[in-house]
Amino acid sequence: MNLNIDRDCCIQCGACAEYCPGHVIAMDEEGWPYERYPDDCWYCGVCQVECPENCITILFPYLIR
Amino acid sequence: MEKGSTFIKDFLIIGGGAAGCMAAIRAKEVNPDMDVAVIEKAEISRSGAAGRGMDALNNVVIPGVSTVDEYIEAVEIVADGVFEPTISRVIGERSFGILQRLEAWGLTFPREPDGSYMVNQFHPKGRFLVEMRGELKKIIAGEAIKSGANIFNRHTALDLIKENERIAGAIVMDVETGEVKTFLAPAVLLATGGAARIGLPRTGYLHGTFDCPWCNGEAYKLGYEAGAKLTGFEYTGVSSMTRDFNGPGQSTFIRHGAYLINGLGERFMKKYDPERMEHAPAGIRMKAMREEINSGRGPVAFSFSHLRPEVIKIIEEGIYAAERPTMKEYFECKNIELSTCPVELVACEVYLCGGHGLAGLVGDAWGETNVPGLFAAGDCLANPYGFLPGAMVMGEVAAERVAGLKAQQPTAHDGEARLARLLGLIERHHRGALEVPVRDFEYKFRRLVNDYVEPPKSEMKLQRFLKETEPMLRDQDDLPAKDPHGLMKVFEAKAGLFCARTAAEASLFRTESRFGLYHERVDYPHKDNQNWKTRVLISAGPDGPVIEKENP
Repeated sequence: MNLNIDRDCCIQCGACAEYCPGHVIAMDEEGWPYERYPDDCWYCGVCQVECPENCITILFPYLIR
Repeated sequence: MEKGSTFIKDFLIIGGGAAGCMAAIRAKEVNPDMDVAVIEKAEISRSGAAGRGMDALNNVVIPGVSTVDEYIEAVEIVADGVFEPTISRVIGERSFGILQRLEAWGLTFPREPDGSYMVNQFHPKGRFLVEMRGELKKIIAGEAIKSGANIFNRHTALDLIKENERIAGAIVMDVETGEVKTFLAPAVLLATGGAARIGLPRTGYLHGTFDCPWCNGEAYKLGYEAGAKLTGFEYTGVSSMTRDFNGPGQSTFIRHGAYLINGLGERFMKKYDPERMEHAPAGIRMKAMREEINSGRGPVAFSFSHLRPEVIKIIEEGIYAAERPTMKEYFECKNIELSTCPVELVACEVYLCGGHGLAGLVGDAWGETNVPGLFAAGDCLANPYGFLPGAMVMGEVAAERVAGLKAQQPTAHDGEARLARLLGLIERHHRGALEVPVRDFEYKFRRLVNDYVEPPKSEMKLQRFLKETEPMLRDQDDLPAKDPHGLMKVFEAKAGLFCARTAAEASLFRTESRFGLYHERVDYPHKDNQNWKTRVLISAGPDGPVIEKENP
């Protein structure tokens, strides 16, 4: 995983999935965001800045961090 | 897979980055009745190499500070004499207009106490770099949306349509649903950026590239297959980047006075370019870095400890605010403090880019290729060191040209035949007879780029690359794709392989060394101005690429 999406503060607005430039994040059947294509993450942080509740932390891919 | 609708447009823009957005805005300004569509693979507010913004405009000719002639001279130096000045002149002349436009839209350009713009030197000559703050891409995208252009987010272009020799449109896929759509238009602008995933980063992480990994040379391949000429593919960029994070910063570091040091703490540029030091052209800096590392004097790093705290603060504001701002979290995770810790640099993987380097589609003063009606702008256009202002200027001028041409809608085009061919190909990818994941396919040719195309180059290495990747050309159409995202990645990988092989072909052709490290041939170690101070042009022939000198 490259991101930590905190479900305690996520309001399921979908902004992270909508704006992710890499098409990495999607919403699951219950409306929670998840990393559908984690291999395509550039750790650019768009999800983080677009989250209105500030609940995403970048962890960085294991090969990078 | 679904065969969907046909859209008729006056102007089709493929790629909604800075260049594509500016083209849409300008087209609607010049002719509000024009029907303009923007095809964007991501979401337009955050897409492209500048999706997280930029902390400066590298090349603005501000009246009273610098001149267009000085700018052209600076580009000629960094392009090592191999450039065609027409586009650089257009960029130089219109760059200040771009700054004024961005300022009017709400971007901030910090001022000196006397009210003048904060301008620094980055190029070997002349002062063109202007500090900038603000959410660049959101603002430009907002203007593009307001302009009334139709934006198609999460769509990617897979093929171009022609009517005899003219461009006539494109075939596009919705990457969410897989629906395939036909767009007919008498004018098409390619603006999908450079090619980032060519070499393999030293981390081994496929998307951990310096340049935006979702731009992978699609415009180069689409343009080439439609008959457009390419140039500069032997200029294989391998810039110095912050280790592992693979992020930029060197223009920020250099213009604020950071030193390049080796493992012994020496400012090693004294040995390689004592006059220009850190301001030497990137290829020279890279060659110096490699020499230090190969001689056991690594690691090399930028050092900031001699800088005043307020300068370090400006640097941090710049690199943590835009382009790759997660560098802040990364430095925190590695306990790097700029005031006390040097930032280690490594050579990034080979990439191709027409706005940072020389690799791009060949265009005239409007960015129109040799295929009538087919334009290019941004990093897929050969606009050496045009950077972000170059992308926006060339987006604007392409739009003005298209608006002025009033071309007729295509009628006798090859759209149906191209669509049938493409649908067959998509079906083949769904069958996926190769049974090899696209990530393995991509890893393989990129590892081979590191072994054989990354400089220093030689005929033996380049020939080996072409031979080793030849079977991959046959395999590529049988790569499996289980969903539209997978299909998008298959097309990205194919574009990457095309770019890598074209870089190898162009590198073989240029039998001299030039551009510092970027085209260092160990078998032709000297620069040969008499025979090679000219661009290398590449076009599609019946039996493969036709490669020639622009001025024999």
